[in-house]
Amino acid sequence: MNTNQLFNAYPTDSKVWDEMFSSTEVREPYKRILHFLNQLSGDELNQKEEMARRLFMSQGVTFTVYSSGEGIEKIFPFDIIPRIITSTEWEFIEKGIKQRLKALNLFLNDIYSNQFILKDKIIPIDMIYSCEHYLREMHNLKVPNNIFVHISGIDIIRDTDGTFYVLEDNLRTPSGVSYMLENREITKRIFPDLLPQNFVKPVNDYPQILYKNLAALSPRHNSNPNIVMLTPGIYNSAYFEHSTLARLMGIELVEGRDLVVDSHRVFMKTTRGLVRVDVIYRRVDDEFLDPLIFNSDSMLGVAGLMSAYRKGHVAIVNAPGNGVADDKATYIYVPDMIKYYLNEEPILKNVPTYKLDDPNQREHVFKNIENMVIKKTDASGGYGMIIGNAASQQEIIDYKKVVVENPRKFIAQPIINLSSSPCYIQGKLQPRRIDLRPFALFGKNEIEIVPGGLTRVALKEGSLVVNSSQGGGSKDTWVINDKI
Amino acid sequence: MLSRVAYSLYWMSRYMERSDGILRLLRVNYAYSQDEYKQLSWRPVLRIFSTMKPADKIKIQYQSRTVLKFMIANKENQNSVLNLISNARENARSVQDNVTKELWQCLNEYYHQIRQNHVEISLHKDDPISVIDSLVTRGMHYYGTFEITMARSEGYYFMNIGKYLERAIQSVDILDVKFSEVDYSLEETTDPTYWKFLLLSISGYELFLKSYRSALDSTNILNQIIWNDNFPRSIIYSVNRLQKSFETLKSDKNSESYKALSRMIGRLESDIRYTGIKDLHEHGLKHYLHKIKKELFAIADAFNLYYFAFK
Repeated sequence: MNTNQLFNAYPTDSKVWDEMFSSTEVREPYKRILHFLNQLSGDELNQKEEMARRLFMSQGVTFTVYSSGEGIEKIFPFDIIPRIITSTEWEFIEKGIKQRLKALNLFLNDIYSNQFILKDKIIPIDMIYSCEHYLREMHNLKVPNNIFVHISGIDIIRDTDGTFYVLEDNLRTPSGVSYMLENREITKRIFPDLLPQNFVKPVNDYPQILYKNLAALSPRHNSNPNIVMLTPGIYNSAYFEHSTLARLMGIELVEGRDLVVDSHRVFMKTTRGLVRVDVIYRRVDDEFLDPLIFNSDSMLGVAGLMSAYRKGHVAIVNAPGNGVADDKATYIYVPDMIKYYLNEEPILKNVPTYKLDDPNQREHVFKNIENMVIKKTDASGGYGMIIGNAASQQEIIDYKKVVVENPRKFIAQPIINLSSSPCYIQGKLQPRRIDLRPFALFGKNEIEIVPGGLTRVALKEGSLVVNSSQGGGSKDTWVINDKI
Repeated sequence: MLSRVAYSLYWMSRYMERSDGILRLLRVNYAYSQDEYKQLSWRPVLRIFSTMKPADKIKIQYQSRTVLKFMIANKENQNSVLNLISNARENARSVQDNVTKELWQCLNEYYHQIRQNHVEISLHKDDPISVIDSLVTRGMHYYGTFEITMARSEGYYFMNIGKYLERAIQSVDILDVKFSEVDYSLEETTDPTYWKFLLLSISGYELFLKSYRSALDSTNILNQIIWNDNFPRSIIYSVNRLQKSFETLKSDKNSESYKALSRMIGRLESDIRYTGIKDLHEHGLKHYLHKIKKELFAIADAFNLYYFAFK
């Protein structure tokens, strides 16, 4: 296959920012890889795609879908064409995320102690108290080093004119970082030499940074703290990620049933008796953490864990209660938080967002519904949302009814034309919409973000939903040095 | 090491050992069935490795391909190689951070291979030996990777404990079933080919020829499978290895548990070592084999109680 066949039919849309092609030409950062791709035949590209699929399969980078009593292994779809970000763009994103996280972390410290931001009426009180993820149990609890959001994934998108926006803050148990690491490993195999030739910044020190941060939280001051990763178990869809991170950090992967609390201290059950645990990186949601405090039916957590935490005998990462800060209604106030706590102008913009419990805004949204996305404030994974121009009349009527019943639970945003990136699909390059989730690690002294993150792709033609549960895939993400 | 992790590693290892034993037995039995002018019964194989009802066993005992499909690719048969490999992999998956990446990939690839439909189709119409060989090779790949990549720490020894306990149980089972077919007779009347294929199925024929020359009689068979220290599938070898692996678990923190199990394993080892063919003539082979099996099961139970009790 020659260049013409691979690229000629590539459709561009003036309303969508394409990462590789401007209206007239190929963008600078993509020139080198495009030149490389042009030298490959269609067969060679297909072979590379097949090789990537096989590598994922044999390494068990899969998630299991259970149907008719039998587990079916699926791989998280991977597109072989990398997404490229220049270091200039990256520095801007990085600065914006760090600023945002600083403010969000201050907000959490404030909201679970003095609540100045409520007293100064920057954020309405009822919005906080009506938030399901606001945990009274966290009140006046001193978290180690005043850090709540140790690990976060801030979703970034790009609108028609190329401006970056923050779409969502994920501050609870964001997943996807293992795919960022695996995607890079696969690229090394399918495109030998291409990474160094393009001056791509490495991502592989993520586990070491995370480990260093976790170790710094140990309540016991010994040289070798016992850090564990708490997983819901093998049936969790992110289990692969849990085991990968545990392995890369060399820490024990535990389930709730492996732990026990005695005299407000946490222990794990080993073949040689009980061993004290210092730090828990938990991938279990707040409500399942401790059956004595939260959901009493939970089998995933550990009875007494919160009391050990409150006494400072164990560190929990991320801190419980972060959900109040990444609630989609709180999102609206993040720019205000940045001004309030940091006295700075926000670097990264928010997507304009309407509160549906305000009757005027609601009316505006309903009137212009064909240009709107309505989302549930407490949902994620692309569930519970409706896209105005893609839904049927009936679906819209039904959805409106639900919104009116409990408007606090919904927000609306204008439909953003996520930027597109070429994907290798059925033998040719086709544009598909993408977002970006960089992973930030909030340590004692600084916030560190490995360059890049996970680029998620909506693989269905025309779709704007990138979530893996809704048919999304991913790409390797390169931050390339454009200053040499 | 977490008790739950030790438990999973132990079972992963037992499932792998069992699948290897089954495949080898099937291979030789199938080859034997092609060699014989009279029809070969698969009943002994089914007796060792399946919980099928006796009437059903009789129904399919002469249908090689049906038995092969049942023993290798059947989803309902909990001891089919397919299910054993799935179980081994599921155990590995839950303790992925405690096995090496290489070992996990090995199991994962094995799992994906055996789940392909053409395994069953080939067993139905092509050469079954090729199918079995390709699976046995996967198993060998697993054993090699296990030996080469796993750190010599607790996990490795728990895996060895599972492996040798399973192997000892298998060897006792094979002897028990094979000898029950000839009424546990120690007289030398049985057809030598019968013993030859027994030895082949546990990879012991060559060593047998070297050790006992050509006398294929029941006394030599028992000598080899129970007492030959050099035969890696003999009962004494397996129990001995089990004991060696177990001894590495000794620590100040679990002296009670250690003592209890140490006594059981040690007693079994000496019981086997200091029994001879003469004693079998006196007390009966059946009684002896059943006693060993009972003690092996008691050891497995004690591991559950002392080392894996995470509930």
